[in-house]
Amino acid sequence: MSKKIRVEKLIEKIEGEATLGFHFTEEKIDFVDIIFSSSRGIEQILQNRAAQDALVINPRVCGICGHAHLIATVKALEACYDEIEISEKAKIIRELTLNFELIQNHLKWFYLTLLPLVGMKQNVVLASKASQIMAKAIAHLAGQYPHTSYAIVGGVVSDPTHIEIMHVKNLIREAITFFEVHMVQADTRELIKCEKVDVLLSKKGDLPEVLQLVLQNDWQYIGKSFDRFIVFGANSYFQRGKSIKTRIQPHIHEKFMILSENDRSLAKNVTYKQKYYETGPLSRAMLLKTPLIKDAHRRYGDSVFSRIMARSCEGVQLLYHSLELLSQLDLSQPSYIEPSQPIGTLSGEGIGAVEAARGSLIHKVMLEEGRIDRYQIVTPTQWNLSQGTREDPGISQQAMIGLHDEKVAEFVFKTFDVCSVCTTH
Amino acid sequence: MKTKLLWIQGLACNGNAHSFLNYPHMEQFLEDFTFVHHPIIDASKTLAEIVKTYHETDILLIEGAVAEDFNRAGEEIIAVIERYAPNVKKIVTVGSCATFGGVFKESPYANSSGVLFHEETPVKRFEAFKEKVVSVSGCPVHPDVLVNTLYMLREEIALRIDAFHRPKEFFAYTVHNGCTRNEYFEYKVDNHRFGEKEGCMFYDHGCQAPFTHGSCNKILWNEVNSKTRAGQPCMGCTEPHFPRPNLFVTKKNMGIPQYLPFDVPKRAYLTLSGVTKAFKISRLEKRLFDV
Amino acid sequence: MAKPTKEEKRANIMLQALKLFSKEGFYTTTIPDIAKSLDMSVGNLYNYFKSKDILAKEIIKYISAYLGAELRKINEEEISAKEKIDKIVRIYFKTAQEQPEMIEYFLRVYLSNREVFKDGCEGMICVSDFVTEIMIFFEEAVRNGELRDQDFFSAFGLFMGYLGGMVFLNGEEVLPQKLDYYIADISHNIYKALKSDEN
Repeated sequence: MSKKIRVEKLIEKIEGEATLGFHFTEEKIDFVDIIFSSSRGIEQILQNRAAQDALVINPRVCGICGHAHLIATVKALEACYDEIEISEKAKIIRELTLNFELIQNHLKWFYLTLLPLVGMKQNVVLASKASQIMAKAIAHLAGQYPHTSYAIVGGVVSDPTHIEIMHVKNLIREAITFFEVHMVQADTRELIKCEKVDVLLSKKGDLPEVLQLVLQNDWQYIGKSFDRFIVFGANSYFQRGKSIKTRIQPHIHEKFMILSENDRSLAKNVTYKQKYYETGPLSRAMLLKTPLIKDAHRRYGDSVFSRIMARSCEGVQLLYHSLELLSQLDLSQPSYIEPSQPIGTLSGEGIGAVEAARGSLIHKVMLEEGRIDRYQIVTPTQWNLSQGTREDPGISQQAMIGLHDEKVAEFVFKTFDVCSVCTTH
Repeated sequence: MKTKLLWIQGLACNGNAHSFLNYPHMEQFLEDFTFVHHPIIDASKTLAEIVKTYHETDILLIEGAVAEDFNRAGEEIIAVIERYAPNVKKIVTVGSCATFGGVFKESPYANSSGVLFHEETPVKRFEAFKEKVVSVSGCPVHPDVLVNTLYMLREEIALRIDAFHRPKEFFAYTVHNGCTRNEYFEYKVDNHRFGEKEGCMFYDHGCQAPFTHGSCNKILWNEVNSKTRAGQPCMGCTEPHFPRPNLFVTKKNMGIPQYLPFDVPKRAYLTLSGVTKAFKISRLEKRLFDV
Repeated sequence: MAKPTKEEKRANIMLQALKLFSKEGFYTTTIPDIAKSLDMSVGNLYNYFKSKDILAKEIIKYISAYLGAELRKINEEEISAKEKIDKIVRIYFKTAQEQPEMIEYFLRVYLSNREVFKDGCEGMICVSDFVTEIMIFFEEAVRNGELRDQDFFSAFGLFMGYLGGMVFLNGEEVLPQKLDYYIADISHNIYKALKSDEN
């Protein structure tokens, strides 16, 4: 008779909590329940509100990735129009501030969440510094961070001058220096073109140190899931589509997204054409075929190693891309173009998809004469943490199945950079 | 001797915890304060430990709205607060949700509110502890406001607080003080368009700064800017009624803004408006950088 | 009997000037004419009002303050907007009947000779006491749902244009009846035109 036990573990510090129920058979995990037990009802709070009130309420879904919610909201509202003009300048500014949030989110995850999982201590001071640099860059363009609603239907409210742009540029450069001093002591201009994991491992820095620890613990192959990746939020850098292993299929549509209730948890499940997909920096790198991550994936598949590398290195790619975007910015264009019809009188439906730090974030809104009739939010953690069954497990469940130890399972779980508040909005 | 802090959360988004992380002198702060528990920073106790039994702390920080049937780590948040409140020296409600209910007072949980207030109305729940409570409202709270309040508590400086327990050092100002668009307000130039650095957003675009308590335009956000300087109307996030309906639009009755600057009698405001509207100041009618 | 105060003397001069403007015409009446009718020396009059233009502007402010004070009393009463409209019409017509030179000055001098008032009485600053009370009346009535929300000037034009027009016609001796006769219908018309759709 095989020995079966179930062990429950409260997982903390995932922007909230979750309970994992590990099912052990003969001391191996063969299934994991993922239970979220609280929800705040944002979708109900939005009901009947004026359309643009969502721009203020939705960032409050989440204190760490609220900016992504803002951009997803404004895109969903704008999608309700048959025709609406947004200047290139406004598009670039929106993409820049979103990049800055992603960059600081990844660095906070690295210094606050990841280090303790590999036996090192959190570095609060460095996490704070990284957060401040990027928050300042956002504040120059959007007034403040966290919780700004500077992107409105028709563009952005701000009117930056060359002074703000210079500050932003120097803050990006400061972030690059931060990366080169702390994360990987190397020339980042080489790093973004790097094609070999071994080159990275040979450098000094907090990232190679963590990866060495992963290798020393023999963890480089754990955490593999289904090698199925999806990215919805296209912009000037990220590419949209799905990838099954390395086979890319660029044409995807939100209408094939299926949400379902789940009886054990307040978080809803989501699939694409009935299959679970991973979303996040690894997925984005797979769609972009980023050389360094391609190499990691070739060696270690969609394991914790690849996930950690993808999340830790995405920021520096975004920093250089942001410098490129800044050079394309034409300040003489208008920041805001008044829509042909005021949003206060509009009826219609719209979907906004963006890449938040943790993966694809999708907002769907239904407006009735300028008021919100229905609002639906699907967050990246819902994708990654969907609760499947033993026959058809979800992405993170599959990643933890086969492990022997809850602590290691928690490590695998947290390499998905879980956000509890987003998941149970 | 470090001051001990225990940070717990009700219905929250974590915005205050992340805003706090942007405090510029974090290294120095951590030399003077230690966390018994914090939702992001590793501390001496886990959440599971602090909700089950009392752990000694000097100050209890509460983030998020409080509601019946809302649990953290399997324990009701109300019970957790009731366990700590009698024994701590001070309680700080961090952010507008913990102070007034904020965004999450409209959550489906029963009787969701701030620790002492539901909007402007005092609630009975933790009334017994109100002498200990200091509120730093905001959505999120400004990191300087939170940290400097903690320092004042640590140094036992007598705080002058307003009717909502907010320290006057930060909340006696209005968000209007220090806005770079003040001249347009002073001369009632109501030609604001979004996306422009000129113009005052009070007349048409829902700016609540003249009747919102806060220091946003005095101490600035992230040391560099503020919503109104950047061109976003103030949303009144430090006040009991946040979030009001129909933000981005100024509610007017027969062309007169419904909410006027604090303590300004209506007749005074209207007379002043009438006077300033009679004059056209060409510098304020043009774009600033125009030749 | 106590000596009249400086304020009372000023008011006296303005009221007398109003009578003369009404009887003899604004442009033909001079400062010496006004001084003579008050048994004052011209020099003494100039102590109170440095020029005819200044006197003209002070008069309009005086009238505005007078009507403004009456409107404020009505505004502060705890009655419905409908009742307030009736009272406002009454006080306006009462003033037109008992002190016709006041309203006449407003309509025939102030509104019709803008060049006299363009420096120092820009926009509505010289009638601000009066206009402020109308604004307050409208704002409160819209706030408690009695009147329909609209632009201030469209409502103001309807109310004041109507009353001014009736007083003008009365002054031209075109109306068959005295002004009082028309109060009930006029109040009713104004209320019906401005009230909110829910009422």
